[in-house]
Amino acid sequence: MTGSSVPEAAERRLATESFSSGLTVPDFAACLQMGLRPVGLVQGFCAMQWGWYGGAQSLRGLSPLGVGDGGYSRVWYCPHGFVSAEHPTWGQNAEQTWVEDAWAAGFDSAFARMLEEARALGANGVIGVKDTSRSTQANVTEFHVLGTAVKLEGAAQGAASDPWSTYLAGQRLAKLIEAGFAPVSVVATLSSVRVWSYCMTRALMEGYGYSMGAIGASGWAGGGSLGAAQEVDQVTEARIAARQIAKERLRQRLGGDILHGALVGSFVRELGEGDQVVECTLRGTRVRRFKDFDPIEAPVVTVRLS
Amino acid sequence: MSGGNPEGLPKDVGHRLEELERGLFTSDLSVNEFLLVKEAGFHPLGFVMGSSIHHTGVQTRRWSKSQELTKLTEAMYNARELAMTRMEEEAEVLGADGVVGVRLDVNYYEWGSDAAEFVAMGTAVKAEDGGSYRNVLGKPFTSDLSGQDFWTIMQTGYVPQGLVMGTCVYHIAHRGLAQAIGTVGQNVELPNFTQALYEARELAMTRMQDEATRLEATGIVGVRLEEKSHQWGSHTIEFLSLGTAVAKRGDEVTLPKPMAIISLDN
Amino acid sequence: MSGDDIPGAAFADLRAEVARAFAAPEGKTSGTDRGVTSDLSIDEALLLHSIGWEPIDLIFGASVVSIPVGIWTWGQGALDPASSAHAMAMTSASRRMEDQCASVGGHGAVGVRVAIEIHPRHVDVELTGTAVRPVGRAARRQRPFVSDLSARDFALLQGSGWAPVGLAFGASFVYAPRRTAGTVLRQSTQNVELVNYTQALYAARESAMERMQRSALEMSAHGIVAVRVDEGPMPFARHVIRFSSWGTAVALVAESHVGRQPRVVLALDDQVVQFAPEALHGG
Repeated sequence: MTGSSVPEAAERRLATESFSSGLTVPDFAACLQMGLRPVGLVQGFCAMQWGWYGGAQSLRGLSPLGVGDGGYSRVWYCPHGFVSAEHPTWGQNAEQTWVEDAWAAGFDSAFARMLEEARALGANGVIGVKDTSRSTQANVTEFHVLGTAVKLEGAAQGAASDPWSTYLAGQRLAKLIEAGFAPVSVVATLSSVRVWSYCMTRALMEGYGYSMGAIGASGWAGGGSLGAAQEVDQVTEARIAARQIAKERLRQRLGGDILHGALVGSFVRELGEGDQVVECTLRGTRVRRFKDFDPIEAPVVTVRLS
Repeated sequence: MSGGNPEGLPKDVGHRLEELERGLFTSDLSVNEFLLVKEAGFHPLGFVMGSSIHHTGVQTRRWSKSQELTKLTEAMYNARELAMTRMEEEAEVLGADGVVGVRLDVNYYEWGSDAAEFVAMGTAVKAEDGGSYRNVLGKPFTSDLSGQDFWTIMQTGYVPQGLVMGTCVYHIAHRGLAQAIGTVGQNVELPNFTQALYEARELAMTRMQDEATRLEATGIVGVRLEEKSHQWGSHTIEFLSLGTAVAKRGDEVTLPKPMAIISLDN
Repeated sequence: MSGDDIPGAAFADLRAEVARAFAAPEGKTSGTDRGVTSDLSIDEALLLHSIGWEPIDLIFGASVVSIPVGIWTWGQGALDPASSAHAMAMTSASRRMEDQCASVGGHGAVGVRVAIEIHPRHVDVELTGTAVRPVGRAARRQRPFVSDLSARDFALLQGSGWAPVGLAFGASFVYAPRRTAGTVLRQSTQNVELVNYTQALYAARESAMERMQRSALEMSAHGIVAVRVDEGPMPFARHVIRFSSWGTAVALVAESHVGRQPRVVLALDDQVVQFAPEALHGG
């Protein structure tokens, strides 16, 4: 299947006269009030196969990875001066750009196919978008993007520009527009950070760092006394870095516009002995201001009788 | 009641429905929904249901081929259709114009590992102005709309025509070992998978849309896409799409202007 | 509020707005709006705007703190290493969030989602929220507040003369008292209060709440609202009972509390309250 044509199965459905919409009734009613007419349910899929963490990189190397591919990377070295096969003398947090790129490619193709269907219907926009991604088997992730295509009453047929899209529908969309924002596109991204633990991280994540405290790295527990809590710097940094990377990657897709209604998801896959993969998804609607900011009056406060 | 024969309701039903005909109504609507259904000009007649127990058998499938399992698709469709038809018949006995708040459930029982009961239930309603709201097939309309949704849709000038559904049971191929190894270490799209997923969902949606066309509906609202694997294992999936077909009958009724509030309720 | 309705007029207006929105030339977002990210819902954003505040940026805080090995085995009394690890993780995650908030010029973070996970060897805390500030105002000199109240709750508090000052929290972990085999046997057929348990649980709950209150007092708060309590046995060590509680510490910033005199409404919806935007500018 090429990326630029609506599959035959969908064509049959889209060719019929009547519309189908994934909108709830209140959303449907609000849509009509806004002058948006639903023309059909549109969707896109993509099943992606993941590279196995860059092939051999699932095994621990002899030294930290290079930082050639431009992602976030930070290296920690053992303060103890031991040389032992048991003692990991270096640790590294590294952004797995190939995972991020695979995710982006999968999401983008599914999204592009949905827009393709919307274009085929002559729609101006797609509202109430839902997207899911799930792993059906090892290393395969499928992306599904679904929404309701709408035509704007009075707008030119088959507008030259791409249909706009938004996760919002119904009254929430009406309120967004009332607040002075026009939706541009749904945007989503994933970040992935691999933590290779070094001796200190490993000791702390395994809970025996306290007995090593006496060895005396800077910032380490005072005399190894039990009860003085120790933060695990490397892992903490990875958790924050994953979120910041997701935000930065998404910001690159905003082109200076605003991200509305962001949804953050985070997943940690512990691989043992402090090693882990931290992943973070971020999605939302890219919106653009079309009129000046005009705050509403403070709403009435109510109590419901029931 | 034998499968495949929609005629005739079980004997015990008659008595319950007779009582309902004498003016008592039962309904699973909440008080709010009840008031809104009345507001929309309808009166609830009674709680109606239909059920059908089916054997959800197996169909041979090829390990490495993605394909629709048409026998299973038909079985799943017929079971639901039968439950719906029986519910419609109950509504017919009550002289209803339609059924609101229809729920379609599947129950599995311990006494039959391959048996599944498909149930449809809802509240039969009748227009108070005497006008007919039956659909083009002369049957009471069915809809999965809540009382709130029913009132809202009537304000937009659309009238529900029927609960429409389409289903497709699909077997998604397992990948051979050679294929899996061949693609190690690369990020690639799996076009066959993508195609299979498209195909299965599209079939379900197209069938749903065909039902709406038979009802001469203008469109379908509230479409839900559900995936169920029943008891077939992870590679065989039923894709079910459901929604309420609506037809434009009148002009949009303008809703009273709401006001912005902050509710202090939890 | 909506006595002088002209049927149809309001909707025509909304249609015009929608048409205008999609006819707008490309790339108009400019000035302070550029690159703003927020996880607020549209209702929250509108309410925040109605009190003259705006979202700036999505901000995060996280901390992973080690728990010494061996503490989950049988013992007596409180597991202080676990509660101090918990306290450190919360403190340092909220400190990071405050720092991020200050660096983007925020006065505080609202709608912060608190995720605490306790593993046998480490405590993970993750905070996600949106930095906010009064429209067009520079960063404030005090430390920014971190609050798990929604923007809606924030707007309500603000209108009543109160302000959030930070997250108050406290946790404690105790071993369930050990019963001798004889006691277990004897009690298995009786309906009796297990006095030891009752006392241990009371003590633990008290000390968690007390820690939470102390942390609020340190922030010079007048109270704590929307306290959440998470309690029960640890999944991986059923003989250890955890109590953890957190909430937003608030302080009265106006002269006195401002009454809002709510109106009474009768709602006919069982679901989400819907409202239309054209009504937002007053009827």
